[in-house]
Amino acid sequence: MTLPREKVDVVIVGSGAAGAHFAARLSQAGQRVAVLEAGPEIKTEQMVSSMLWARRLKWKGAPVLETGPEPVGYVFNAGWGVGGASIHHYAVWPRMHENDFRVRSLYGRGLDWPISYADLRPYYDRVQKECGISGDAKAEVWRPAGEPYPMGPVASANQGRIVGKGFESLGMKVAPLPMAIATRTYDGRPSCIWDGWCDAGCPTGALSNALSVHWPKALAAGATLHPNTQVVRVLTESKGTRASGVEVVTAKGERVRIMADAVVLAANTIQNARILLASESSHHPHGLGNASGTLGQFVTSHLAAPIFGLHPDKTNPWFGAFGGQFLNQEHYDQKEKFSGQGAFGSYQWMIAQAVKPNGLLGIAPSRPDIRGAALKRFMERSTEHMITMTGVVEDLPIAENRVTLSQQKDAWGVPLATVQHASSPESLALWKVAVDEGLRVFRAAGADDVWNAPKAPMHIMGGTIMGKGAGDSVANRYGAVHEVPNLVLGGASLFPTSGGVNPTFTIHALASMACDQLT
Amino acid sequence: MKATRREILYAGGIGLLSFTLGGAKVELSPRDAREAGVKPRVLLSNEEETLAALGDRIVPGSRESGVSVYVDHQLAVSFEECMLMIQYLGVAPPFTSFYRSGLSSVNSVARARHGQPFAELTDANAEALIEDMASEKLEDWEGPPQGLFYFVIRNDACDVQYGTQEGFVRLNVPYAAHILPPSEWG
Repeated sequence: MTLPREKVDVVIVGSGAAGAHFAARLSQAGQRVAVLEAGPEIKTEQMVSSMLWARRLKWKGAPVLETGPEPVGYVFNAGWGVGGASIHHYAVWPRMHENDFRVRSLYGRGLDWPISYADLRPYYDRVQKECGISGDAKAEVWRPAGEPYPMGPVASANQGRIVGKGFESLGMKVAPLPMAIATRTYDGRPSCIWDGWCDAGCPTGALSNALSVHWPKALAAGATLHPNTQVVRVLTESKGTRASGVEVVTAKGERVRIMADAVVLAANTIQNARILLASESSHHPHGLGNASGTLGQFVTSHLAAPIFGLHPDKTNPWFGAFGGQFLNQEHYDQKEKFSGQGAFGSYQWMIAQAVKPNGLLGIAPSRPDIRGAALKRFMERSTEHMITMTGVVEDLPIAENRVTLSQQKDAWGVPLATVQHASSPESLALWKVAVDEGLRVFRAAGADDVWNAPKAPMHIMGGTIMGKGAGDSVANRYGAVHEVPNLVLGGASLFPTSGGVNPTFTIHALASMACDQLT
Repeated sequence: MKATRREILYAGGIGLLSFTLGGAKVELSPRDAREAGVKPRVLLSNEEETLAALGDRIVPGSRESGVSVYVDHQLAVSFEECMLMIQYLGVAPPFTSFYRSGLSSVNSVARARHGQPFAELTDANAEALIEDMASEKLEDWEGPPQGLFYFVIRNDACDVQYGTQEGFVRLNVPYAAHILPPSEWG
């Protein structure tokens, strides 16, 4: 598709969860929308069921340089091509809780959001109908107020039932995992067949992602999509108070300016900060939207706490959804519960995840110490008897965890992003609390061998946070950049705090709220 | 009843890559390419042999499954096509120098300890070297971080041994594909 030569109403940078959401809503409202995507077009036939082929769906753009003791795992977490990370995400969609939005006010640490759960609740409710979430709201006794899910829960099987008994024997509950996966025909999308290939993309459309939900709506409403188009900077009018468009490099290496009345920057967490930092000008000498000096700061990444075990009963762990079967948020609302152990924050368990023999989250890498003849025995037993779950552990926001521009540049002369990340002592302590609990649960479930994987990064948030004003943040409650209000940010880069839940549902809720302001 | 390897290859239509052999272009599976003596495209012959030997010590069967052909092929294609797990582990592309320096260090340590390249070590000596590498105890190591190198090679070997349709059959795990891979690894 030829790039627009005339000014459009809105140009959107990025075609993932947030970008596609904006594109659908704004084009349906009659606006002329052009969407620019750095990566290639992704077709459903590229969603090959293989943990090797799945690696082609992860980030393939300009390298991101990672420093610090807990790197954010950019390539694994980011997507590449139309649909972005939504294509390989596992569709675990819990809501953030009320205290996640008021961490500074309630606990004297971290940050506050400029909105409350009550502000976002209508948008969670709206999005869950649009995208289709399956679950059992009543069973989720920890769930904040909201409409019940539009679909019944995902399938449970041996693995889930076995681990669930472990929780119950310790006096804890489990509930069906809320997932943006169809358990019946929903809005023309088929029900899932639970084959556990979510990481490789879902070609059937059962899993809600940009390609299955928002892109068909956006294109039908007239939005234009431009893959292989790399945005290098956001342009501003002469006074620097309004965005006028973006400068891009095409696949042929041509530099083109696309003018628009409004710009939505929804590239991804790291690229949002990188593009704004690279958009410096005389009016914005330290980067666009950086009057507060917070641009790039407060990058967070959940600490994953993967727990594994081998159970005497057959579990068939290759069956189900990659995200899991059940949820536990037992201590979620008590962020100070484990302060005696130096811990702070919230965590949840995603229980009984489908696992494949290989892949970073697969069976083989879970025990890197086993090799030789013992590995074959381990693999043969594990593929029938493994149980697994993963803790999603909150990461306290720290200003020093930040995106900066490197001296190194990409092929188009844009500085590469460097991301520094070191988890706080409180977050590391909470990870330890979660791991210890997870091991206890698996022993209680009857596993005869239990272990945990080292801490690993999961999801990337922050870097262009929302806040009350230009003195403390980059954007306002609707994602509009304080100094340039017709430049709106989308995605998890807006999150001041990470909470202990998967971010995609909240990304959509924020986008939905912002769209109400733009239409 | 488990399917045989040939039945899997036939059913899936998988595993064929283009190679130049005797001046002619041929399509072979990675395993057959190795048996036919196809030259690696990026790795040197001694590097390929060291990789195959190391992979097979860590994940038995991975030599025959083509671990060295797999890695060499992935190093030869563009980053956009690359399937190596190393891309997830904080190493910026291109990855050839990572493998080259690691394999060179493995052989250097083997020669320093036993006067032989790694591929010729006894079972006990090879295992002792791998154990020290995995626990980062090799003192004269000059390659990438030892533990990371071990992890990467182990995962590459697991990918070819257990991550393909043939590998699933070995473990008696239903593959249950939505879309079958057009080839095992690109």
